[in-house]
Order: sequence, then structure tokens, then C-alpha cells
Amino acid sequence: MQVHIRIRRFNPETDNKPRWGEYTVNDVNPTDSVLDVLHRVKWEQDGTLTLRRSCAHGVCGSDAMRINGANMLACKTLVSRIAKPGSDQAKIQVEPILGLRVIKDLVVDMDPFFDHYRSVLPYFVNDNVPADGREFRQSPEDRARFDDTTKCILCAACTTSCPSFWANEKYVGPAAIVQAHRFIFDSRDQAAEERLKVVGDSFGVWRCRTNFNCTNACPREIEVTKAIAEVKGVLARGKI
Amino acid sequence: MTTPTGITYRKVAVPSNLERRAFLFMRLSGAALLLLAVGHMMIQHVLNSSQNLTLQFVAQQWSSWGWRVYDMLLLFFAITHGFNGLRNVLEDYVHNRNAVKWINRFLFVFAILTIIWAGIAIATF
Ligand code: HEM
Ligand code: SF4
Ligand code: FES
Repeated sequence: MQVHIRIRRFNPETDNKPRWGEYTVNDVNPTDSVLDVLHRVKWEQDGTLTLRRSCAHGVCGSDAMRINGANMLACKTLVSRIAKPGSDQAKIQVEPILGLRVIKDLVVDMDPFFDHYRSVLPYFVNDNVPADGREFRQSPEDRARFDDTTKCILCAACTTSCPSFWANEKYVGPAAIVQAHRFIFDSRDQAAEERLKVVGDSFGVWRCRTNFNCTNACPREIEVTKAIAEVKGVLARGKI
Repeated sequence: MTTPTGITYRKVAVPSNLERRAFLFMRLSGAALLLLAVGHMMIQHVLNSSQNLTLQFVAQQWSSWGWRVYDMLLLFFAITHGFNGLRNVLEDYVHNRNAVKWINRFLFVFAILTIIWAGIAIATF
């Protein structure tokens, strides 16, 4: 099939503002991903097209983009999902994720995002020696409480789909709260109170207005809004 | 060795800042408004037709202290809930901490004055 793709381009050395680049790619399989189409543009038409990707299989989280107005992973989004059923043409529009500074084309400055990530202590904290000297044991029920939030690949699709983050980049954002949730709800961890100080701050969970953009955006199908609500619940009740 | 079972609930210390209290207050006042504001809508505008809302009608209602208390509670919760919501919205977009501080002071004084003068109007009607 034939794909018409419109890509938001910006070269800091020659452009003073972003512009649209339009390309037509032929002989595309419906089962090709948007990343495949971007590769074809880069490899066959314009080698200066700049984007991040690594695994191409939805694992590394480096290619979150705004595709036809919604955040997705380019590698996980098939052209058939975008084309009208039965049509042998597809129109795709690709922009960098919003709310972070564009460095070049589809590459944004992820530093503010990872600063928020680091602020919630996204690692296991427990300085004690386990009772059996070997491992901290946990019931299946306790493990299940944070199962959903272990799936995050830090692609930033959620945080950069959130209007509260667009309005104010000091908001710690859905992804950092997902990471905080992962460890706050882990019965073996001991730093919940420190994390709750960060996400309970005025730029923490209270900026969330429950509009579900994050849940819709997450390529790992994490119930992001629910995780945020559970952290709010801990802060409201003082009980995990 | 046996596998542990069940959910372990833990108590934790949480920061009790203004933002947390404001969040809890929005839930509380929201619940109050669900009764008061929806009740107000039903009673004044559905059960009584809007055409009957004359000065005499209001005077007659406010001759009873029950209605006065109802309307004062509605006044209190609607103003505090609405102004706190407005503060929340403004804090998204105003990034200068000093400006936020002054806006909050202004909203606070304005809300208190509104409650006082409207409260006096209801009490002395
Ligand atoms: C049925 C009655 C009402 C209920 C149940 C209700 C409930 C709520 C709740 C739970 C929130 C917090 C939302 C959040 O934390 O994300 C909220 C926010 C808000 N409410 Fe109400 N409310 C009611 C009536 C009103 C009225 C009468 C006003 C205006 C005077 C009002 C103005 C606001 C504003 C401005 C916000 C902030 C919105 C935001 O933060 O984006 N509400 N309401
Ligand atoms: S929660 Fe989902 S959308 Fe957000 S960073 Fe993690 S994987 Fe990406
Ligand atoms: S390239 Fe790794 S997630 Fe898409």
C-alpha cells in the first residue's frame, strides 16, 4: 500500500521554527509499523531525518511519538491500525512528544523527564538482612499489588500526554508516579515515606485531574490513572 | 519453608501539607454539594418552577431558619469549593511563585468577604 506521511521537522542549525516534511512511501505492507515507514523515509528519501529507536519491538521505550494526534510507540503501531479498513492508502502524521524541548526532528530533551523519574527513588530500598539470611519473602497477594506498575518501560508517552504536565513541567508526571507506586506498594521496601514526600508535594499527585490521557497513551497498557489514584489514597489515608 | 499469604497493610507517615488538605476538602465539599447543590436545583428549579422564584417566594422561604441554614451551607461549600478549584487551576498556569502567593491571598480574602456579605444578606433578609 501507499503511505503519505507528514513529519514535524526541526533542524536547530537551519530552522528558526518547526516545519512539516511530507513524504510518500510505496509498497508498504499493512503489517509494517510506523517505525518501518520512518526508516524508509530516512533510508530512501532524507537521511537527515532524526529519531530515537533501539529495539524496534516495544521493549526499550525510545520511540514514543505523537502519531495522528495521540502518543504511541512508532514500532508498536502498525500501519493497518491507522489505514481505513479496505483502503490501500494511509495518511500518517508524526510529531515529537509534547511538553519537552525539541532537540532535532523527533528527538526531544528527556532530561526533565528523567529528573522527575530519579526524584522518586525508583529503586528497592531495604538495608536489613532477610530473616533467613537469603531473601525477603513476599506473598503472591502482596506481589500482585504492584504487578501492573512493574511493566513500565519509561517511554514517557504518559507524561507527555498529560495536560497538567504541558501546563507545568514541574509536575512530577504520571511515569514518575508509576515508578513510585511500584516501590511504595512493595511490602519488602522501606523508603515509602521518602517517596510519599516527593509525590505528596504540591507538584506531585495533586496536579493529576484524572483525565485518563496517560492510561490511553501507555503502550504497556498499564492502568496509569488507577496507579496515581492508589498513591493519592495512600496519602489520604496514611496506610499502604 | 511456607509461602507467606495475604496482604500486608502498613501504616506510613504522610506529609500533611496544604495541597493534601485541599484535596481532601474538595472530596468532602464535593459530597456536600452533591446533596446541597443538586437538592437546591431540584427543589427551586424543578419542583418549584423558575417562574415562581419571586421576592415574595424567597422571603417566605427565608422566614424559616431551616432554609436559611440550608442556603448558608450551600453558600459556604459552593464558594470555598469553587475558589479552591480556581486556585488549583491557576496554579497550573501561573509559574511565578510570588504571583501564586498573591493570587492565593486575593482569592482567600475575596472568598471570605463573599461568604460574609452573602451570609449577612441571608441572615437579615
Ligand atoms: C454536584 C456537585 C459537585 C461535586 C460532586 C463536585 C466535585 C468536585 C471534585 C471531586 C473536584 C476535584 C477534582 C480533582 O481533584 O481532580 C472538583 C473540582 C472543582 N470543582 Fe466541583 N463539584 C461540585 C460542584 C461544583 C460547583 C457548584 C462549583 C463552582 C462553584 C465547582 C467548581 C469546581 C472547580 C473550579 C474545580 C477545580 C477543577 C480542577 O482542578 O481542574 N464544583 N469538584
Ligand atoms: S507508564 Fe506506560 S506510558 Fe508511562 S512511561 Fe511507563 S510504559 Fe511509558
Ligand atoms: S524502538 Fe524500542 S520500544 Fe520502540
